[in-house]
Amino acid sequence: MVKLKSGSTAQGGEDGAKKRRKIPDSAPLVGVLLFMMVLFSITSEYFFQIDNFKNVLANAAVTGIVCIPSTFLIISGQIDLSVGSAAAVSGMLLAQVVNHHGVVLGLLSVLIFGLILGCFNGFIVTVIGVNALITTLGGLGFLYGVALLIGNGQTLGMKNFDWLGTAQPIDIPLPILIFTVLAIIGSITLRFTKFGRSIYAIGSNPNAARVVGIRSNRVMFMTFILSSVAAALAGAVLASQLSSGDPNSGLGLELQVVTAIVLGGASLAGGRGTILGTVLGLLIVGVLNNGLILMDVPTFWQRIAQGLMLIVAVSFDSIRAKLNNTRS
Amino acid sequence: MSNTTELIRLEGIKKSYNSVEVLHGVDLTVNAGEVIALLGENGAGKSTLVKILAGDIFPTEGVIKIDNSELAGLDVYQARQLGIRMIFQELNDAPTLTVAENIFLGQWPTSGGRIAWKELKRKAQEVLDRLEVDIPLDAIAGSLRVGERQLIEIARALIQNAKILVLDEPTAALSNVEVERLFKVMDQLKAQGVGMVYITHRLDEVTRVADRVQVLRDGNPVLNEFAKDVSRDALVTAMLGHAAVKNARPEVSKGHTVALEVKGLSDGSVFNDISFNVHEGEVVCLFGKIGSGTSEILESIFGLRTITSGEIDIYSERFTPKSPQDSVSKKIGYLPADRQRLGSFAIRSVAENLSVASWARMAKAGFVRKMDEEAAYGTWADALSISARRGPSQEIATLSGGNQQKVLLGRWFEARVNVLLLVEPTRGVDVGARRDIYEIIRKQAKESNMAVLVATSDYEEVVLLADRALVVSRGAISAEFTDDLVQANKLIAASS
Repeated sequence: MVKLKSGSTAQGGEDGAKKRRKIPDSAPLVGVLLFMMVLFSITSEYFFQIDNFKNVLANAAVTGIVCIPSTFLIISGQIDLSVGSAAAVSGMLLAQVVNHHGVVLGLLSVLIFGLILGCFNGFIVTVIGVNALITTLGGLGFLYGVALLIGNGQTLGMKNFDWLGTAQPIDIPLPILIFTVLAIIGSITLRFTKFGRSIYAIGSNPNAARVVGIRSNRVMFMTFILSSVAAALAGAVLASQLSSGDPNSGLGLELQVVTAIVLGGASLAGGRGTILGTVLGLLIVGVLNNGLILMDVPTFWQRIAQGLMLIVAVSFDSIRAKLNNTRS
Repeated sequence: MSNTTELIRLEGIKKSYNSVEVLHGVDLTVNAGEVIALLGENGAGKSTLVKILAGDIFPTEGVIKIDNSELAGLDVYQARQLGIRMIFQELNDAPTLTVAENIFLGQWPTSGGRIAWKELKRKAQEVLDRLEVDIPLDAIAGSLRVGERQLIEIARALIQNAKILVLDEPTAALSNVEVERLFKVMDQLKAQGVGMVYITHRLDEVTRVADRVQVLRDGNPVLNEFAKDVSRDALVTAMLGHAAVKNARPEVSKGHTVALEVKGLSDGSVFNDISFNVHEGEVVCLFGKIGSGTSEILESIFGLRTITSGEIDIYSERFTPKSPQDSVSKKIGYLPADRQRLGSFAIRSVAENLSVASWARMAKAGFVRKMDEEAAYGTWADALSISARRGPSQEIATLSGGNQQKVLLGRWFEARVNVLLLVEPTRGVDVGARRDIYEIIRKQAKESNMAVLVATSDYEEVVLLADRALVVSRGAISAEFTDDLVQANKLIAASS
């Protein structure tokens, strides 16, 4: 009898633990998001309006397009910091080619640029074996130079190509639709395909992944390509929104991307993370930016807030890891 | 021997942890210029004894006599004062610094706050000369061979005025040449009056290096004699105990087809000219002490380690191991000894850990269904009696060692491999689960005609698991036993 009783309490405790474990993943993020929305609704009469939401989402969408493959990378234990400058190069390239050779060649050149950059990053990281952080930090640096070089340090105006950034089929801005589609595909890929599951396995234990026959280098290489192509696409969308290529347009994009992903619960140590989490993290970053703008906070304060937010997010990541360690 | 100076004497040492006594009254005397070989199986109490000597542990009972004083135990500080130094099997050096810096690690001589390089190099050279070893002072430690780095650690101990050196299995990772060099250094130190306690598993080393030999078994002193007076058989008997009964051997069988054949395999450093075969449905154990090369042979077959010569055939077809991924696609599985580092995906579910090597087969148009994974887990959880209380989605890291190992074995059964390579399959697994695991491995081998090759340093495992046993000693096969000849004492004698 006694045995039975203790057994059943343990069972109950475990079920309770199971439920508690299920909640934290997204609930705190939703909570923070709602809290911020309430706060900004009170502080600004312009916040809680459809047009403003569209605006927030359209801005977040550009970052979000990059966030999807970057989430893959971070789950696999890698990172791509070159995305900001890559987007800038892409925008400059697009403006240059569209002005002289038309839209089709413009988009094609952007795509090719993304593929080449992805192969380059993938090669340096997986074949040469350089740490991804350093490789892509170098990329961030030199690509910014390339972006300045293309326009000779100036912004390049672009004619007749604003639909990618501003068209509103079914009354929703196109970037939001692109992002939504990518997020759904990304989520399905991560959760249900061999490719996506391999990413989790590699991030969880790269050595074991090799031993069980996962082609880790191939998977990583692919993911770096996806990341660069997404950055190029984001750059094109941004240029289209601005009707110009601006070498400074991608500044800080990598910071926002990493902040959103880590806020969303992905672990920098690899093996953990979801697209849903990233989307929520992205909305938090986006709403914060928008709220600060509406509150007329000077832009340099926004920078400060963004940087601090990343530190807060990674601190949560570390604290969570420590709690997990003490628990097991 | 009679006119030796006694450096330290431990008498009637007992040690208990939570009222469980692990040492039951052991004596140990270290004389100047004398090497004592300390032998015993794992868990016999060797490490506890030397930790008491080094001041890491305080004995529960007994006295320690130094000169004319009697102490109840030493602390680390006292042990250092007495010049007691430990040399471990694992290196404790700074691989990016030079030899000279490593010799003085953390205690660099300074003048006016700056490191006195000239003095440092002069003294480092002196101590290397004293050991009669020739290693350049400016070489980076990490670029040297393991044996040389170990000598540097001995040099460091000497700089710190070592009078008693405790060497804990220092030869485990060394090649023959390096072992001989170490012994020469030990001869040198002996002549200079350093007393040494030498822990080893290798019986052949005892006569080469030791003056006296002491054997512990289950915390009891069972033998203490001059090395020249004791035979190898007497040592084996003392280590195993007279009560060592023959373990029941399983029903031995094998298929007719040779699944794996290895001919003249060498890797140029650890093992040399290895030839053997494994039949379908047969479990072959490579038995050897840690460092003998058994695990490296398996690593090479799986493609984790490069070979310099030799041939591997899988079902009579030439197989050149290129990478683990390639081996897996050729239906070869590998269970590593280091589960944490190479085996499990700690934060992922048991279902995923079990099916990860089978994704290629399970995937339909690139999609892996959770249903299939959970079904695979269900099958093997039953067959292997894996107990994960929260079911297929429980994180593997939350399971016991035995259950984790069962999941990792199930991984290769599910992948339907033809050849399964297992390295130390029951390391870190509790005794109860061990028997389960042996039974499962044998059953699976017979049922699915799988060839199983095991590398192990546990002779009991060989007796309970192997259809056939090959003994590996210093990188070469030294004996083969079949049927009822697979016995613990034969294995130990052949591996030493």
